[in-house]
Amino acid sequence: MTKTYISRHPLEGRIPLEPGIRAVDHLEVPRRQAIVTVMAADGEDTAVAAVLATMSEPSLRCVGPGEWLVVSQSETPEGLQRSLALVLAETAYVLDQSDGRIVLRLSGPNVRRILAKGVAIDLHPSVFGLGAASNLLCGHVNVNLARTGENEFELIVMRSLAESLFDDLRLMGREFDLSADFSG
Amino acid sequence: MASLIHCPHCGVRPSQEFSIRGDASVVRPAPEASDEAWHEYVHIRSNPHGRHREHWQHVAGCRRGLVVERDTFTHDVFSVTDGAAVAREGGR
Amino acid sequence: MTAYRLASGGVIDRSSTLSFKFDGRAMKGHPGDTLASALLANDQLLVGRSFKYHRPRGIVTAGPSEPNALVTIGEGAATDPNTKATVAELYAGLDARSQNRWPSLKHDIGALNGLLSPFLSAGFYYKTFMWPAAFWEKVYEPLIRRAAGLGRTVLEHDPHSYEKCWAHCDLLVVGAGPTGLMAALTAGRAGLRVILADEDFRLGGSLLAETTRIDHRPAMDFAEACLAELRALPHVTIMPRTTVFGWYDDNVFGAVERVQKHVVAPQAKLPVERLWRIVAKRALLATGAEERPLVFGGNDRPGVMMAGAMRTYANRFGVAAGRSVAIFTNGSAGYGTASDLAAHEIEVAAIIDSRDAPLDAAPAGVRVIPSASVIDTRGRQRVCGLVVERAGFEETIACDAIGMSGGWNPVIHLACQRGAKAVWSPELSTFLAPDLGSGLVVAGSAAGRYSLGGCLEDGAERAARIAADLGFSTASNPLPAVGEEVDPSFTALWYSPGAKAKAFVDFQNDVHVKDLGLALREGFGHVEHAKRYTTTGMATDQGKLSAINATGLLAGMQGISPADVGTTTFRPFYTPVAFGALAGTSRDEHAAPVRKSPLYGWAEKNGAAFVDSGLWYRPAFFARHGEKTWRDSTDREVVNVRQHVGLCDVSTLGKIEIFGPDAAEFLNRLYCNPFLKLPVGKARYGLMLREDGIAYDDGTTSRLSPQHFVMTTTTALAGGVMSHLEYCAQVVWPELKVRFCSSTDQWAQMAIAGPKSRLVLQALVEDDVSDAAFPFLSAAVVTLKGGLNARLFRISFSGELAYELAVPAGLGEAVADAIMEEGRGHGICAYGLEALNVLRIEKGHVTHAEFDGRVTPDDAGFGRMVSAQKTDFIGKRLSTRYGLTAADRMQMVGLKPVETDQHIRAGAHLLREGAKASTLNDQGYVSSACYSPTLGHDIALAFLKSGRERYGERVVVWDKLSGGDTVAEICHPVFVDPGNTRLKV
Repeated sequence: MTKTYISRHPLEGRIPLEPGIRAVDHLEVPRRQAIVTVMAADGEDTAVAAVLATMSEPSLRCVGPGEWLVVSQSETPEGLQRSLALVLAETAYVLDQSDGRIVLRLSGPNVRRILAKGVAIDLHPSVFGLGAASNLLCGHVNVNLARTGENEFELIVMRSLAESLFDDLRLMGREFDLSADFSG
Repeated sequence: MASLIHCPHCGVRPSQEFSIRGDASVVRPAPEASDEAWHEYVHIRSNPHGRHREHWQHVAGCRRGLVVERDTFTHDVFSVTDGAAVAREGGR
Repeated sequence: MTAYRLASGGVIDRSSTLSFKFDGRAMKGHPGDTLASALLANDQLLVGRSFKYHRPRGIVTAGPSEPNALVTIGEGAATDPNTKATVAELYAGLDARSQNRWPSLKHDIGALNGLLSPFLSAGFYYKTFMWPAAFWEKVYEPLIRRAAGLGRTVLEHDPHSYEKCWAHCDLLVVGAGPTGLMAALTAGRAGLRVILADEDFRLGGSLLAETTRIDHRPAMDFAEACLAELRALPHVTIMPRTTVFGWYDDNVFGAVERVQKHVVAPQAKLPVERLWRIVAKRALLATGAEERPLVFGGNDRPGVMMAGAMRTYANRFGVAAGRSVAIFTNGSAGYGTASDLAAHEIEVAAIIDSRDAPLDAAPAGVRVIPSASVIDTRGRQRVCGLVVERAGFEETIACDAIGMSGGWNPVIHLACQRGAKAVWSPELSTFLAPDLGSGLVVAGSAAGRYSLGGCLEDGAERAARIAADLGFSTASNPLPAVGEEVDPSFTALWYSPGAKAKAFVDFQNDVHVKDLGLALREGFGHVEHAKRYTTTGMATDQGKLSAINATGLLAGMQGISPADVGTTTFRPFYTPVAFGALAGTSRDEHAAPVRKSPLYGWAEKNGAAFVDSGLWYRPAFFARHGEKTWRDSTDREVVNVRQHVGLCDVSTLGKIEIFGPDAAEFLNRLYCNPFLKLPVGKARYGLMLREDGIAYDDGTTSRLSPQHFVMTTTTALAGGVMSHLEYCAQVVWPELKVRFCSSTDQWAQMAIAGPKSRLVLQALVEDDVSDAAFPFLSAAVVTLKGGLNARLFRISFSGELAYELAVPAGLGEAVADAIMEEGRGHGICAYGLEALNVLRIEKGHVTHAEFDGRVTPDDAGFGRMVSAQKTDFIGKRLSTRYGLTAADRMQMVGLKPVETDQHIRAGAHLLREGAKASTLNDQGYVSSACYSPTLGHDIALAFLKSGRERYGERVVVWDKLSGGDTVAEICHPVFVDPGNTRLKV
């Protein structure tokens, strides 16, 4: 028996909220993305950081010293893993997390006011600059928060907690009629 | 409400992001050390009123073990350093 | 127009009328009114009964320190008790009820307590309700509880929503009066990120009741101009209706914003209250000063009010507190109020001044009585006169309201919340904030600079200094010109001598001067003791009005300075905060996050009943048609696994990927059994100890390549084990070259167990999974037919031939569906946690029911597994200490009831047959128990003293919680297939 297995997103059934309605503040959920954990081998933190910084498409999310999440919308998980393994060789360990992490992209004029209901850090543009990323608590849930645009942030969350975070974000955004839908 | 810890890797964060492990001044003895040394390491803790060094892990952030030097009475924090860096220098 | 509403004046919108109800009576007010100002305008002065004596009480203040005017607002589940009418914003449809009265506000039976008052002195409860002890619970406490208490809470689910929010700023200004406005303007103009918070719904503070002109215009207009400029500054956030209630470590402030407390029907998309945590680089306290009440005979009669409050009601709300007002004062402020009232054409009956030769000017035609004391008041539910004593002569003066002005107390609550003690100022006869360092600065009246000009100057100056400290430059703006103002000086008067009636200190808790005297005589003179003995300052107003007078009186009675008496301890919250606001959105389904396995959907469509397991929802059992109880389903699932095959979701087990040249060495030091030589492609059971030698967690760890291992942990301790590994790698052995990361969420993991598991699996997997090619404890990456890569482990918790298959989480449900489809012909069933538990108890496998923090490896039968060769591992050294190796330790055994229809339950204790049930005779306990469908009777795992030597012996399973005693036989803890023949086929 030969089977093709179809992937399921944990927020199927939750979204779209109201198809077609897109408010100024919007939560966009990519159905599929490649996410890889990169851990620098002993003593290679700087070297790995330098290599990762030169890569163009995939975006880099700082997790902690010597550890990053690398996110790509265009590559497959296998492809991203392969290309990272190639450029990093022995300097880092690469682990696929594409199924273990979910990306939620929040954008709109009130995005900071929405996030302030769960996030303790100062998200003022002068403090949390474009490209900044960090692991932190959003309400009760651990996320990696990154600023990906002028008024756009991405939250990466563990798959098992995606529904809870999604429900929390909806509650945080209800004041601004936050809409939500899959993208891509 | 909250108190704030300045994580050397992540910046200023609320204490809810951390878990406190306890006394950072104790150092694990060598396997062959005396019974007394092991007993002290595992069981004996001072409970100082004032300056104290503790291990705090930034569990909701970088997940690093940090050495937080603080006043247990006023909660004034004097320094926060990465635990591995401290351990490599011999623990103190 | 109502009797007490003035014809003009105030910042209320007279063009619009708001209808509201008080105790069912329809009343009218205007936008801009508080409930209290509207009640006064409707001649409703009597608003409540006092706590102990049920004395009639009227409105005393026009602000948050109000002790009396506490009302219940709303109905049913949305009931808000103890709302201060003096700060509650009036809205159309507001429905308020008075409290602490029965059957009605005017006729209250509890007022009989007043007649009993000689017996209700301080410490009364402590002395009276002591004997007999049995009376306490059944008689005294219910009686006191019925009589005492103010508003009643409701137990229904609060229909309102709340939320929490963080904010960040360079400067937080608390209070939007003259000081706060000037400070916010100065800092805002300099470019600081400023938050200006004020508890009032209209900003301006004392400026709203001020008659002195600023920059040649009314003070209210000046306030509006300041606010207009602030609103235009991009970095300034103005937060009205926001009470900053607490100052916490690291300059974090707690505040509560009343978003929709002033509307009759709150919008669903907004919270009614929002709790703010404000992280401020600097903060400026501009909370102003509170007028001090005077302690004189009969001072609690409705109609006795703070003089400043009368001024506020007249100037801000256009309401007269009375038609003929007497003023009792010890300073110039009383004269200021008299002038303002006179300007509104309210009759001033007299000014009674405690000072000998006051120089202040009274309004034309108003009689001033210096060197005088008010010794009593007349009237029942409203004052109708007062008795003045001067040089031994008494005189009764008719009036329908009395304004009292006893001086000023800076509002320094926040400044003292973090342990610093307030400092007595002999010059100002009050307590001031201590030096607090740079984080919080006190300014204006809150710092004892009472004059309007002083406040404006102080706010501007201190804000400029803060701006400079933070590296901002400020342009110097000229200060506004202030017209002629009232002199704030006074001569402290703690007690007006000669009282002919009770002179109250704490209105809400009915504490009067004699109570404090009694406390002192009985040895409770320390201010903290006196507070608790008399309950002064312990009501919902927390002594905002009363505390200073209690200190002054205690000092006077002992002939010492108030400096030596001190204040009681200030703690958050400044004013009461609803639990709803503190909880925010963390309630109901948002109280804690829920973790869902990638196989949740699969389990759901197979009929799973879910159970909480930490944050996870896990399938407990899968009920089929006709099954009535969880046992029916569980028994079927167990038998099905033993005879055919079953599929169980084990995705929730923690998975940690460990890399690096020292990965094997790292594992070897973490586990008590050896891992250094684990071959690639093999899995091994590993047991971790705590450093004190006690078992911590277990699981299987597999070597996927020389420098890559994948560890599994129990579901419960997945987080704990991860932190343990991090601590060990970072702090204990930083020299080891190892990196690791959780992959728990990446994989959907399924246990396929039972004699037919291989048949099912082989149909889906390209690789050979026969016993020869893939023997017990194999671990490898395999390819599913169709090309999907997966991880396969040959491990077994059930004791049957079993595999665990891990696939990327997103594909978990599809793969599980395929297994179920493929297995249908082999009789596959889904099985849940309950069946898993029975299967493992039948095999004597341990879980955290056994590893409960008291058990050593040897206790659980793993003694030989602990490596003696390894030089070091976590727990090695202390696992050999005497207490952990003693011969009479409790060891794990199996138990089966002698009468097979009898039951054994976990938690039961073990006794020798015939022994009395006592702690001394305790032989051990049952850790896990279940009905074994394989054997047809109950079985149990238990810890029993020297248990392994006692197989065949009988013990009594003593269980008084759920039935009687059961006699059980002690046996080996592996009940099914002790030779492990079934799993190695």
